[in-house]
Amino acid sequence: MRITDRRFALYLMTPAALFLAVFVAYPLFRLVADSFYKISPIAGGAREFVGFQNYAAAFASEAFMGAGWRTLAYTLVVVTLEFALGLGMALLFTTLGRKSQIWRTVFLYPLMIAPIVAGLLWKFLMIDNFGLIGTILHQAGILSNPNQIGWLSDPNIVLFSVAVPDIWLTTSFMCLVLFAGLQNIPGDLIEAARLDGARSPALLFQIILPLLRPVIAVALVVRGIDAARAFDTILIQTNGGPQSASETMSLLIYRTMIRFGDPGLASAMGTLYLLAMLAVAFVAVSTIWRPGKDN
Amino acid sequence: MSNASVATKSRQASSNASTAEHPLRKRRGVNREGLEAGRRSTRTILWILLAAAMVLYGFPFLYLLFTSFKTPIDTIAVPPTILPREWTLENYTNALGRSGVVASFINSIQTAVISTLLSLVLAVPAAYGITRYKTPSGQVFIMAALVTRMVPPVAIGIPLASMMASVGLSDTPIALSIAHTTISLPLSIWLMCSFFESVPRDLEEAATVDGCSRLGALWRVVIPVVSGGIAVTAIFAFLASWNEFLFALLMTAIRSQTTPVVIANFQTQFGLDWGSMTALAAVYSIPVILLTLLLQRKIVAGMTLGAVKG
Repeated sequence: MRITDRRFALYLMTPAALFLAVFVAYPLFRLVADSFYKISPIAGGAREFVGFQNYAAAFASEAFMGAGWRTLAYTLVVVTLEFALGLGMALLFTTLGRKSQIWRTVFLYPLMIAPIVAGLLWKFLMIDNFGLIGTILHQAGILSNPNQIGWLSDPNIVLFSVAVPDIWLTTSFMCLVLFAGLQNIPGDLIEAARLDGARSPALLFQIILPLLRPVIAVALVVRGIDAARAFDTILIQTNGGPQSASETMSLLIYRTMIRFGDPGLASAMGTLYLLAMLAVAFVAVSTIWRPGKDN
Repeated sequence: MSNASVATKSRQASSNASTAEHPLRKRRGVNREGLEAGRRSTRTILWILLAAAMVLYGFPFLYLLFTSFKTPIDTIAVPPTILPREWTLENYTNALGRSGVVASFINSIQTAVISTLLSLVLAVPAAYGITRYKTPSGQVFIMAALVTRMVPPVAIGIPLASMMASVGLSDTPIALSIAHTTISLPLSIWLMCSFFESVPRDLEEAATVDGCSRLGALWRVVIPVVSGGIAVTAIFAFLASWNEFLFALLMTAIRSQTTPVVIANFQTQFGLDWGSMTALAAVYSIPVILLTLLLQRKIVAGMTLGAVKG
């Protein structure tokens, strides 16, 4: 007997759905469940139901609130800078046209580099004493001493410094997506505006950016989600220091779990983090992005 | 308008033919000059700007490469030099000679290959089911896959690790591959959906008329047509696993450690041995960079689709 189309489609999707249920949904369920317990870090250790006590502890902890704000600030810095740089490069590539093709390819190379390697590389460039950036700025006469700026040791600027590898890694991605979007803007529209006497800034802000809106929305949402989860690059550069000044949410949860051995509290923090991400992403997706609307 | 610019225009149009569908695309051929206008002097300035950007952008990795060829003492010389004073392979022999380093490469390859295969085996049929039949369950499923992309790895890492431990899989490449597949599967599904979307329906209908079963039509007719798309998806799944660090840190100990974890461990275990670290980082990055430059067309197609789709 022939099975119906609907059932056949269901069979095709079942393995993937089962996989996601077992290895994503179930761990998430465990995370939420664990957040209501006081758990001994030793495997098979004691579990005691404590209700919302872990959540209360999370909100009362300065580290948690601090990490929340830092994650937000970090995300804004990364996404803003890489959007500005990516758009600049995309406009440059578009203006230069086909002859820039090979450079477009070369520009993509950081995307293939592991974040851990990028973090290491930038730590090496910014580190006190033998970091190249301080030395170059000193030789250029901008700094009086190569160690004048403690890129990774000054708590006031470290959150910006640890964002640099992330920006370096993914500006190419932003550029690529915006470049693809620019290719879809009809040239005669730009030409008409130019004939009407529009100058470059007006052209950019009144014609190009509004037309790019859907592409920009997608790029910002995708990158925002990723930046808010940053872990590798920060861990290898500063491990959240100095004095927690670069400790973002992923690092705090990881350290609460591993270093301070409190799985219950870490689960509560993880649950709150997840809920915040889903809420922000949901709003962003439903109001700005609207996937499927343009297909 | 000169002939040359007309020629540029038509080449431009054909080179863009592979990018995503867009309602405005039809009009593209009319006039590309709008965005590409500019006098010769402005163009020169723009080229200089591009060259400067490229130098700034490319320099960090080149510096890593140069450093990896310095002697260990020169690596941390004050003030630092850009080029090695003396070229040596010492850092490479040090790094690769260290116990566990070669094994970590094998682990990285194993994990990435298993994860890629798992991702494809699950994503290809699922994406086909979603795009070909458009059932409500398919629509729900693809939104669920999108939500999965927003889950922070740190939130599921620990429960996942303890699940693996309870079935006796801790510290194995299989366990890590499964963890990596939770990241690459949603993206693979989205990518494959866009590739299946572009396959004409008549193709498999003709095959069915010729006596193929639905599964037979998928296997013998549709899969060969989207093989390019499958390759793109495979590259992305491979890269995701190759570069992943958090799950690898949480779920592996000595036996199944991947290279990113070993690179990070260099910091603590051997007291900042920068020379070896840069050498190992170079060895780990160069194969994928070369692979990417070789397959750049496919990568760009996938990246643009991946971005638009999620």
